[in-house]
Amino acid sequence: MTTPIKNLTAHFELDNLFKIQVFMDGGGYRALKKVLAEGTSAQVLEAVKKANLRGRGGAGFPAGLKWGFVPKATDKPKYLCVNADEGEPGTFKDRYLLNHNPHLLIEGIVITSYAVGIHDAYIYIRGEYEAIARRLEGAIEEARVNGLLGKNILGSGFDLELRVHRGAGSYICGEETALLESLEGKRGNPRLKPPFPAFVGLFGCPTVINNVETLANVPSIIDHGPDWFLSQGRPNDGGTRIFGVSGAVNNPGIYELPVGTSLREIIETHAGGIKDGKKLKAVIPGGMSAPILRADEIDMPMDCESVAAAGSMIGSGAVIVIDEATPILEVLKKVAKFYAHESCGQCTPCRIGTSWIHKIVKRLAAGEGRKADLDTLLRLASNIKGRTLCPMGDAASLPVLSIIQKFRKELDATVKN
Amino acid sequence: MPKIVIDGKTVEAQDGLTVFKAAAAAGVDIPHFCYHPAFVPEGSCRLCLVEIAGSAKLELSCSTVVREGMTVSTQSPRVQEARKSVLEFLLAEHPLDCPICDKAGECKLQDYYRDHGLTESAFSEFKERREKKVRIGEKLLLDRERCILCTRCVRFLTDITRTQELGVFERGVHAEISTYEGELVASSYSGNLVDLCPVGAITDTEFRFKTRPWFLTRGESICPLCSRGCNIFVDYQRGMARVPKSAKVLRIRPRINPDVNGHWLCDYGRYGYMTMQRDNRSENVTRKSGLRPRPEWDDVVAFLGGELRRMKTEAGSKNLAVIVTPWLTNEELFLVKKIFIENLGAGQVYFAGPAAAEGDGILLTSERAPNSRGALEIGLDTRPFALEALAETTGMLWIFGSDVGEPFSTEAFRAAAIPLKIVISSRLGALTELADIVLPSATAAEKSGSFTNINGRIQKFAAVARSCGATRPASDILLNIARAAHLNDPYYDRLADVSAIFEALAGEIPFFGKRS
Repeated sequence: MTTPIKNLTAHFELDNLFKIQVFMDGGGYRALKKVLAEGTSAQVLEAVKKANLRGRGGAGFPAGLKWGFVPKATDKPKYLCVNADEGEPGTFKDRYLLNHNPHLLIEGIVITSYAVGIHDAYIYIRGEYEAIARRLEGAIEEARVNGLLGKNILGSGFDLELRVHRGAGSYICGEETALLESLEGKRGNPRLKPPFPAFVGLFGCPTVINNVETLANVPSIIDHGPDWFLSQGRPNDGGTRIFGVSGAVNNPGIYELPVGTSLREIIETHAGGIKDGKKLKAVIPGGMSAPILRADEIDMPMDCESVAAAGSMIGSGAVIVIDEATPILEVLKKVAKFYAHESCGQCTPCRIGTSWIHKIVKRLAAGEGRKADLDTLLRLASNIKGRTLCPMGDAASLPVLSIIQKFRKELDATVKN
Repeated sequence: MPKIVIDGKTVEAQDGLTVFKAAAAAGVDIPHFCYHPAFVPEGSCRLCLVEIAGSAKLELSCSTVVREGMTVSTQSPRVQEARKSVLEFLLAEHPLDCPICDKAGECKLQDYYRDHGLTESAFSEFKERREKKVRIGEKLLLDRERCILCTRCVRFLTDITRTQELGVFERGVHAEISTYEGELVASSYSGNLVDLCPVGAITDTEFRFKTRPWFLTRGESICPLCSRGCNIFVDYQRGMARVPKSAKVLRIRPRINPDVNGHWLCDYGRYGYMTMQRDNRSENVTRKSGLRPRPEWDDVVAFLGGELRRMKTEAGSKNLAVIVTPWLTNEELFLVKKIFIENLGAGQVYFAGPAAAEGDGILLTSERAPNSRGALEIGLDTRPFALEALAETTGMLWIFGSDVGEPFSTEAFRAAAIPLKIVISSRLGALTELADIVLPSATAAEKSGSFTNINGRIQKFAAVARSCGATRPASDILLNIARAAHLNDPYYDRLADVSAIFEALAGEIPFFGKRS
């Protein structure tokens, strides 16, 4: 069994870790001080690249590579946006990080901004996390008072303004370009890519957008070095991940484990196995947008490449466990309802496709299914996949496709005629 | 100039062009809804997806820039299937309104559906029900069930007029176009929204339910409501030759001209044209004295010809006054100059321009008449006319009317005792009331000729509608009177039609010669 590691979740047992003094007593802001005193931005970039820190929000894009895209020579201001929207159903890891250890994120933000040459950063936090947003603002104020934010941080000459901006209840605003639109005060509609945010982002300026957990890893990469970080995970996917396990398990919750830990181990060992002695039916390994896995498919290392090779996605590391007592149609119903509700409405396939899928699934769930329905659902989902303006088209279609393909017999039985 | 291959054909595309534009330049039309040449690519309808070699996904042609060696297929089975699926999605939530929808016959959704196989619908759920008659502007109605959310209307008001009256509200399939609560689209370019809308979601109350596009004949003309000279299409019904007033202009639409009006028309011109064409038309020759109040056109022309001949031989032309308006074409103004100034030596020639108005800084100019520039270049004095200037000894006064409204106040005329007042006008009004003789003239829609716009651009146009009753173009009237007066038979007999008049004009005045 892999022993849980406590990098990101270090000192979580303290309920006042969000206070700056407690954070610093535990070694907090040491990495930032080191960077400002003896390090260069180039060195930070190098370290993060070498550590193979992959994005923890869902796409798994290498963070160092993304930062490298930002043009060095530009007369436009550069921005950092922290994606704290945490909208992917099943995901709650960032909530823990933000609530228990906001200073870890702040430290990661300052180091990252220093590395890329950014002087204005925003935390876009989902509107529902109201109390957490207040705690964040409190932590930011503490950091400012202690000279760790604002002008001339720790006398280094480096300036950084950090602001918290709350969302307003839209899943699509967790998509990076929709996040930018929302932050700019506009309707949360995703933008066409290219151009990519590294070139044309917030207010048309070069912008880095990273997930909370991604940035929270930066201080320890600086503290212990990229080799250490790599050694904890996989060669092309370093460090630890916070897996959020929910559903029919005995011990739902967050588990910080090395990248590459087996999914079976996460469910059976760390999360205590299936509740009430039931049998496992299915697992969604990376948040609801990830293709579903059958019970016999969980012997799989949880790292970006391996999960992709198995036909799913590590996504946000949110492991949703479904037992035999849950009809798969219930899962399909939740999937269909969610994406229909959250579609921004901009592009044709998603706007109408998600609604059409939802209408059919509702009929199925009401016992009014028809013989052609499941094949129609497959066809509609295939017509959405790969044809939409933003990745939500895939998010809406892949679960539908995988659920129907892997549980066809059970779904066929729900159709009376 | 990157070389690309489109549907097997190698073309040299201009640097920086999108695949869509490069294809269009090569004669390949790619179906689209949200794309419009006047706007930045939107990428939301997903209909313009094409296959590009080397790319696993289909790519948007509207926003993908060409690269050297790119191989594009706009008709491959994958592309066809993708297009059909977009159309299927749109039609799934689209009401079956064709039988009652204005857009039928010129609807892009209909056209593409027809082009892509007319497949049976697989949608067997309940369609979204929405409001079908939302007033979003003084002459605009929005049908939200028909709307395909291409957002062209929103973007027009954001990018072109910058008035932002429309927005997208709500999310997902409930997304809808709306104005802000209690407000209407007030922009004076609102009529363009009807042209922009690819389906029948935005309709024009002036045109709604009046006809079907396949009953309309389309002609090209120039809008005469201001000096911009916007290029237009006139959609009219020919009507039947012997049934008076059966010919009707039903609609004006902009004709694209990048040098004059781009893609647009202002509402003043669009709706003003209809009013000009339809309301208060003067159709009968009238004569106050004389036995018959509705004399024959030929008789009146002969009479007037005789009067002018008499004036010439008796050297009474200093008692002849003419009021010219900038509603006349270049050809007509030229004839006025030849007849009244050169041949007859008229004592007074005046110019009555339109009342002062404001331009809108986009298309509509402050001068609300089409041809002041033409009058200027032809050499007519374009200083404004004032009634006091009319000499007391005026024996004969010719007035050319305006196609809209009254060119000047006629109150003072009633006091003046001018024995013979001839009015040539397309409109009935105070002016025709005061006239002794009225010769009804054609509007810009009913005659051929040319206008010179504010920038000196000479734009020729041909008649698109048939005039009624005794209405004739002013050029016709003038030529016939000149002939009846035998002012210069060899000259006027040679001028067989409007283009001959323009040739003569171009020959005599360099401005028209070098520019035509």
